[in-house]
Amino acid sequence: MGVENPAEEAQILLRTRLCNPNYIFTILSDSPDSNYSKLKYIMSSSVTEACNNSALLLGPRGCGKVAILEMVIKDLLQEYPDMICVIKLNGLLHSEDNCALKEIARQLCIENQLVFSKMASFDDNSQFVISMLRECGLAHKTIIFVVDEFDLFTQGKQRLLYSLLDAMQSVTSQAVVVGVSCRLDADQLLEKRVRSRFSHRKLLFLPPSQEDLQRILQHCLLLPTESSLPPQYVAAYNKKFLNMLSDDKFKDIVESLCDSDSTFNHLLRFLFVAVCEMDPKSGFLSLDNFKTALSSIQRQPKLEALQDCSILELYILVCLRRLEVKEQETTNFNSVMKEYKSVHDSFQTADYYERNVCLRAFEHLFQRELISLVDNRGHSQSVEFRPVRLLISSHELHQGLKSYRSCPAILHKVLAV
Amino acid sequence: MGDEGNAQTPRRTTRASLSSTPNPSNSTGKLNLCNQQPLTIDDLAYGDESISFDDLISSLPGRRAQIIELLRILGPLDSPMFPVFVYGGASTGKTSSILQIFKHLKRPFVYCSCVTCYSPRILFESVLNQLLLHRRNESNRYLSVKRCEKPSDFVNLLQEALRNVVDSLKGNVVKSSSKKSMGRARGEMVYLVFDNLELVREWDKGSNILSFMFKLYDILKMPEVGLIFLSNASPDTYYLDTGYVEPVPVYFPDYTEDELRQILMKNQENPKLYSSFLEVVLRPFCRVTRRVDELSTAFSPLYQIYYEPLDDLGIVPSGDVKRELFSHLQPHIGPSLNDTFRVENRLSSEASAKTNKWKGIAKKMGVSESSDEIDFHMSACAKYLLICAFLASKNPATLDASLFDSTGGFSNGKRKRKSSEKSKEKKETAEQDLLLKGPGTFPLERLLAIFQCIVSVSECLPDDEAQGNGGLEGESWTNGLLSHVLLELSSLCNANFISKGGSCPLEGANRYRSMVSEAMALEVARSLKFPLPKYLYRGG
Repeated sequence: MGVENPAEEAQILLRTRLCNPNYIFTILSDSPDSNYSKLKYIMSSSVTEACNNSALLLGPRGCGKVAILEMVIKDLLQEYPDMICVIKLNGLLHSEDNCALKEIARQLCIENQLVFSKMASFDDNSQFVISMLRECGLAHKTIIFVVDEFDLFTQGKQRLLYSLLDAMQSVTSQAVVVGVSCRLDADQLLEKRVRSRFSHRKLLFLPPSQEDLQRILQHCLLLPTESSLPPQYVAAYNKKFLNMLSDDKFKDIVESLCDSDSTFNHLLRFLFVAVCEMDPKSGFLSLDNFKTALSSIQRQPKLEALQDCSILELYILVCLRRLEVKEQETTNFNSVMKEYKSVHDSFQTADYYERNVCLRAFEHLFQRELISLVDNRGHSQSVEFRPVRLLISSHELHQGLKSYRSCPAILHKVLAV
Repeated sequence: MGDEGNAQTPRRTTRASLSSTPNPSNSTGKLNLCNQQPLTIDDLAYGDESISFDDLISSLPGRRAQIIELLRILGPLDSPMFPVFVYGGASTGKTSSILQIFKHLKRPFVYCSCVTCYSPRILFESVLNQLLLHRRNESNRYLSVKRCEKPSDFVNLLQEALRNVVDSLKGNVVKSSSKKSMGRARGEMVYLVFDNLELVREWDKGSNILSFMFKLYDILKMPEVGLIFLSNASPDTYYLDTGYVEPVPVYFPDYTEDELRQILMKNQENPKLYSSFLEVVLRPFCRVTRRVDELSTAFSPLYQIYYEPLDDLGIVPSGDVKRELFSHLQPHIGPSLNDTFRVENRLSSEASAKTNKWKGIAKKMGVSESSDEIDFHMSACAKYLLICAFLASKNPATLDASLFDSTGGFSNGKRKRKSSEKSKEKKETAEQDLLLKGPGTFPLERLLAIFQCIVSVSECLPDDEAQGNGGLEGESWTNGLLSHVLLELSSLCNANFISKGGSCPLEGANRYRSMVSEAMALEVARSLKFPLPKYLYRGG
C-alpha cells in the first residue's frame, strides 16, 4: 500500500512507535539494576514462591511507571500462563469503595468466566472477593492488583486498601498489590492499620538521564533496516538523522526542552510533533522540524491572549495595572472606569468609549482569563461591583504591549506613568 | 456565535442535523424520524462528498496555518496520535475548522459539545449513543442506549463500543479495498472530539472529570482512538492538583484585520460596495473588538445606512459616490461604536415578548440600557416598588426618618447641601465606597416603610396628573392589600430588578438589593411624575 510513498509509511511507523509506550521502554529494561528488573524480581518471586507481596511505584508523572509495570505483567503472563490473574483499578475511576469493589468483582468474573451481577451489594461483593482470593490461593493462582493513582484511594476511610491488605495476611491467599502514584509521600498517606499491613517496597522512577535520552532518541527515530521500506531510503534517512544527532544545535534544542520538563512523556510529545512536521516530500527529519516542534510545545498562553486583545481591552488592562501600582485594596469595574476616564482626561486618547462597550470588553477579558474575580462570594451583585484582579504580571503586560502589532504609543506612556 | 457569524462562516453541524440532511436517500424520511434508516458505521463520518484541500482552506479564511498544523497532527490514514488540545478565543473558528477537516478527511469521528452535554452523564451517554449508532426517537422513548453516570462505567462501555467500531471499520477497509465507494468512512481510527471543554471546570466535581478526560487516552490504551479537545481557555487555566499528561497544544489566534475583511467579504452580493464600506468601518471597530460575531451584528445595520442613498445596489461605486456615501455614514459610526446592542422599537402587540427579552438582558448586564422612554409595561405599583428599592439601596437607613417626614423631603435638600460643603474629602471617600461596594442591602420592612411613605406622599401631591394616575391606585394599596405588594415584589425579584440576597446572620430575615441603574430609576420615576432626585442622598 505505502510502496508509492515511503515517506508516509515511515511517518506512520514512527508515529506508531511513539504512541506505544511498550516499544519505548523496552530499551530501558535490559540492565540488571533497572526498575524493570527489580519489579520483575519482586513479582515473579511472589508468583513462584506463592507468597503475598505489595509494592509502590513512585515518581513524577510521565516517567513510565505504568508502562514498565505493564511490560512486567506481560512477561509474567507469558512465563506463567494460567497462574496469574490481573485486576486493574484506577484512582480516578474507582476511588469510591463501593465502586472499586464492584469493579474488582466484575474483573474477577470476566477472568474466571463467571456471571457478574450488577445488583450485588457491597457485602456480597466483598464476600465474593474474599472467597475468590481463597480459591485462587488454593489453586496456586496469584492475583495481581494494579492500583493506579494510589494516592486517591487514601482519601476517606481507606476501607478498600485495608480489606485488600488484610485479606493478604492469611496464609491461604496469594496476591500482589502494586500501587502506582505520582506522590512521593504516598505511603505516608496511609492509616496506621493499613500501613502496618503494607510491605514497604518502593521503587522510585526518575526522568531519563542524558545517556538514556540519547538511546531513546535513536531507538525511536531510526528506521529499521528490515522492513517494507526501500533500503536506499532507510539508509539515507538514518545517515541524515545520525548526523543531526551529533549537531550542536540539535543538542541545544533537546537541552532547552529538558530544562522545562525532562520526563519521558514530554520528550515523546516533542518527538511526536517533530515527526508530524516532517516534510512528506523529502521524507527526512530536519533540524527545522525540531525547532518548530519546540516552539509549538512550549507556548506562552498569557502572551498569546494579550496579542488577541483589542486596543480597548489593552486600555482596560493598563488601567487595572495602574490601579495595582496605586495599591488600592479592591478594584472593580467602576474604579477601572474612573481610572480610564482620568487617563483619557490627562492624555487625550483617541480611544474613549461608552461604559457599556467597556463592560463588554471587560467581559471579554474574563473569557480570556486575563482578569478574574477575587472571590466567588456575592453572587447577587452585578459584575460591575465585584472586585477583580489582574492575572498577569507587569512584566508580561510590558512584553505583550511591546510585541503587539499596532500598539498605540500612548499606551506605553500610560503604563509607565 | 451570532446568527450572522453562522451565515458567513461554515455552519456548525451537530450529529443530529448531520444525519438528517446530507444523506440523499434519507431526504424523504426527514420529516418522519421513525422512518429513518438504521445508522451504519459510515454515518460516523460525513456522508456527502469530501471537500478538496483547496476548498477546505478557502472555506475558512485566515485559518490556513492552523488547518495545516491540525492536518499534520492528525497525520496520514491509520496513524495513531497523541491527544490534541485546540484552544483560542471565542469565535476564532475552532469548531468549524475541526468539522471541516473531518469533512475533508472523511474519517469517522464523534462530536460532543459540553454546552449541550451539560453534565457528565449526558456527555458520556451522548458519546456512547453515537458510537453504538443509536438514535433516540419515539420508539425507544428517547432513551439512551446505555445508562451511565460514573466514569468507571463509562470507561468499560466505551472500551467495548470502541472495539466494536474499530473492528467494523477494519472490515469496512477490507471490503472497500476491492470497490472504492463514496460515502464510506475512511481509515481505522476513530476520533473523539470534545468541544467547549472549559465549561467542565464549572461542573460539580469538575476537576475530577477533567483529570479523567485528560487521562482518558492513557486509560483506554487504544492506539486507534484519537482525542481532540476544544477549549476557549488556554491550557494554563486548567488548574488540577496532581497534574496530568498534557496534550499537544494547537493555538487559534484571533483574526487580524485583514483576515476579518476576508471573512466579512464572504457571501456578499456586491463585493465592491461592501469592501468600500469595510474600508470605512473596519479599522475603528477593530480597536474595540475583533470578534466576528460582534462585528457582523454591528455592521449589518450600518451597511443598510451606507447603501440607503443608492438606488441600484449592483453598482460599482466610483470615487465620488464613495465620498458621498462616506459622508452619509460618518455621523452614524460614532454612536454605533458605543453601542453594544440595539433594541428596536416594535409594535405593542409584541410588548410582552419584549419585556421578557429585556429582562433577560437586564439580568445579564445589570441594566445599563439607556433608552429615551421606558418601553416596557409595568404596573404603577411595581414602578413605585422599584423606586423604593432603589432609594433603599442608595440612601443610608439612618436618613429615612428625616427624608420621609410629612413635608416629603423638600427642606432636607438644602440641609444636605450645606453639610456636603463641610467636608469634601468625606464625600469623595463615600463616592469611592459607592463605586466599590455598589448598591446596599436592606430588609423587607424598610422597603415597605419607604413604600408606604412614598405612596402617601404621591397621594397628597398637588400635581393633578399624578393624583389621577398613581394616586387612585395608591389608595387601594394603602387600604391594606399587602399581599399584592409582596407579589409584585417577588415578580420584580424574579426579573432580577431586585435581587434577594442571603439572610443576615444576626437578624435572620432576607435582605434585598436593587439592581437598577440610576438612569433607569430616574426614567421610571419620570414616567410616574415622581420627584425622585429630591429623595436621593448625595453623599456628605
